[in-house]
Amino acid sequence: MAPRRPIVPLSVALLFLVTACARPADATPAASAAPTASSTASDPAPSTAASATTFPVTVTDDLGRELVLTAEPSRIVSLAPSNTEIVCALDACDRLVGVTDYDDYPPEVADVDDVVIAASVDVELVVATEPDLVLAAGNELTPTSVIEQLDALGLPVLVLYPETLDAVYANIELMGAALGRAPAAADLVAGMEARVGEVVAVVEGAERPLTLYEVFHSEGTTYTAGEGSFLAALLELAGAAPLTGDAQGAIGPEDLVAADPELILLGTASYDPSLADPQAALEAVGRRAGWAELRAVQAGAVVPYLEDIVTTRPGPRIVDGLEALARAIHPDRFR
Amino acid sequence: MGSRRLPARSTRIGSAEPMSATTAARRVAFGPSLGRSAVVIGIGVGMLLAVAVASMLAGTSRIGVGDAVGIVVHRVTGFGPVTWSPAAETIVWELRLPRVVAGMVVGAGLATAGAVFQALLRNPLADPYLIGPAAGASLGAVIALLLPVATVGLLGIGLVQVLAFAGGLLAVIVVLAIARGHAGTPVVTLLLAGYAISSLLSAGVALLIFNSGERLGAVISWLLGSLAGASWPRVGFAAPLIVITFSLLLLRWRSLNALLLGESQAAHVGIDVEREKRILVGLAALSTSAGVAISGTIGFVGLVVPHLVRLAIGPDHRLLLPASMLFGAGLLGLADLGARLAGGIPVGVVTALIGAPFFLWLLRRSVVGTRSSR
Repeated sequence: MAPRRPIVPLSVALLFLVTACARPADATPAASAAPTASSTASDPAPSTAASATTFPVTVTDDLGRELVLTAEPSRIVSLAPSNTEIVCALDACDRLVGVTDYDDYPPEVADVDDVVIAASVDVELVVATEPDLVLAAGNELTPTSVIEQLDALGLPVLVLYPETLDAVYANIELMGAALGRAPAAADLVAGMEARVGEVVAVVEGAERPLTLYEVFHSEGTTYTAGEGSFLAALLELAGAAPLTGDAQGAIGPEDLVAADPELILLGTASYDPSLADPQAALEAVGRRAGWAELRAVQAGAVVPYLEDIVTTRPGPRIVDGLEALARAIHPDRFR
Repeated sequence: MGSRRLPARSTRIGSAEPMSATTAARRVAFGPSLGRSAVVIGIGVGMLLAVAVASMLAGTSRIGVGDAVGIVVHRVTGFGPVTWSPAAETIVWELRLPRVVAGMVVGAGLATAGAVFQALLRNPLADPYLIGPAAGASLGAVIALLLPVATVGLLGIGLVQVLAFAGGLLAVIVVLAIARGHAGTPVVTLLLAGYAISSLLSAGVALLIFNSGERLGAVISWLLGSLAGASWPRVGFAAPLIVITFSLLLLRWRSLNALLLGESQAAHVGIDVEREKRILVGLAALSTSAGVAISGTIGFVGLVVPHLVRLAIGPDHRLLLPASMLFGAGLLGLADLGARLAGGIPVGVVTALIGAPFFLWLLRRSVVGTRSSR
């Protein structure tokens, strides 16, 4: 009988504890660091003609969200290697205060603190860098839940998810506007367009081999360029007829054999050293069920493709990827 | 002395025969000693506070004890000099604290519900997920995750949380409706219906996983259970539900104690067994669904904690429910701290890693330990 007494006060106390914790948050749902106001004075904009942009600037990201930048961002967090490359290509590498542990280009970003570790965003580290601009990636590369969390914390987030070459140009120009580097961005885009034009001119009129670009292979299913995907468009520009999979890029063994590609580019060789040697690669894919009879395997047209990173990373170096693709598909035209 | 031993034996895992009505009644009447209960509750409160403080300090960015405490005091009372950066304040107040509170609230809800289900089903393996809320919540959450529309925020909580909560409740309602016959709701039928509905819903989840494409990562991390997305609005959604259901369950301690004796015995002492069963299942499901909605399906807390507490203080629900709530909160808080320190692995993995061996230990103890002690 005795123990009955202490219980009711206990549960009441707990009720108070919980509601006490919840109440202040309800009153100010997004009360948190708004670092833009405090950090402007610290970094005088590097003086070039490029900083002609006058702030505030309103930019719209790939999710259609508008963001008003009251001052030139000086503390930038990049949550994807492609975003990092764009920032650095606009000569703003020194403004990065957080990147991913997967970032490898340009080499100096190795010195920047990682806030994305093993593909997972450490929100606490992002906040700790006190960023005035966070560059996220779309299509779940930056998980939607993380973007929502950063939004809720009041951080200025831009989501970049280019699905075409034109969208990469647009992203670079968007970043140019956001960073006060619009002229540099325009120059960069013009240079990229010129190089793309050259590739198109070189492969023009050449026969277009039916090409399988292997992104990944597992349990008989090959992942290649998805129908209507960025990669498919690049293959097309590089003078191939891309063999595409479904929306996710998956193609089953029967469909693959039925399609019978003439050329196989092993993007997987970029990460799997055992596929880097052409002869070893040819033997490896020849052992897969049904593959030995493919035209590409019969003709020995299986190419270990070592430029997968620049080909699939939608940053300024995507043109390097396009050129590498064209060289791999039409080696005869690049002597 | 006698009261120390008896409860442990009466509820040992795997005990085939229900305890006799007279011994159980005597136990309920006598209860454990007040001193022992006070010690156990004291340990629970101490653990809760220790975990809370440790969780405020642990993290990838370094924030000192003084600042962490100062920030919380400042936010709650408005007093104190500000010696920290705005970023530190955001990290402590918007990231760490809601996460700690969310973990504790969910743990409390799951452990309370587990204690109720174990009494109700008189089955030592009963846990809050047994009759469908986990599978229902999973299906709801995965549907929300895969909807092509941008998630609409409702009062600061996402569509995922809303659909998970609704899915969990709906699953239990369907199970209750199926299991209810002319002669009431037999416990065995309830279990079987729960199993079948869970399997059906899990098949739906599996189908959606297979077609989840680039959202696979989001789906898996929800299913594994994670508190990484915790925020004040989510706490504000789940906490009142869990605290209220806990209070209502505690008020029904007589029914729960009587049901331990068996349904016919409970009916003899004047309990409307069928009505009580439905109310208890409903409340426990509410508590579970509210927790799962903000954390994903975290296992083992609801199974292990009530067992552990019952071993310590006996089966009287006046004490068992509050103690389960305390230790559920402390244990999940601790597990989440471990998950964060281990580099952000899902907390559901940690509870399973700790919970399963612990459960096995309990099992061995009940098989070997009691025999040798006789």
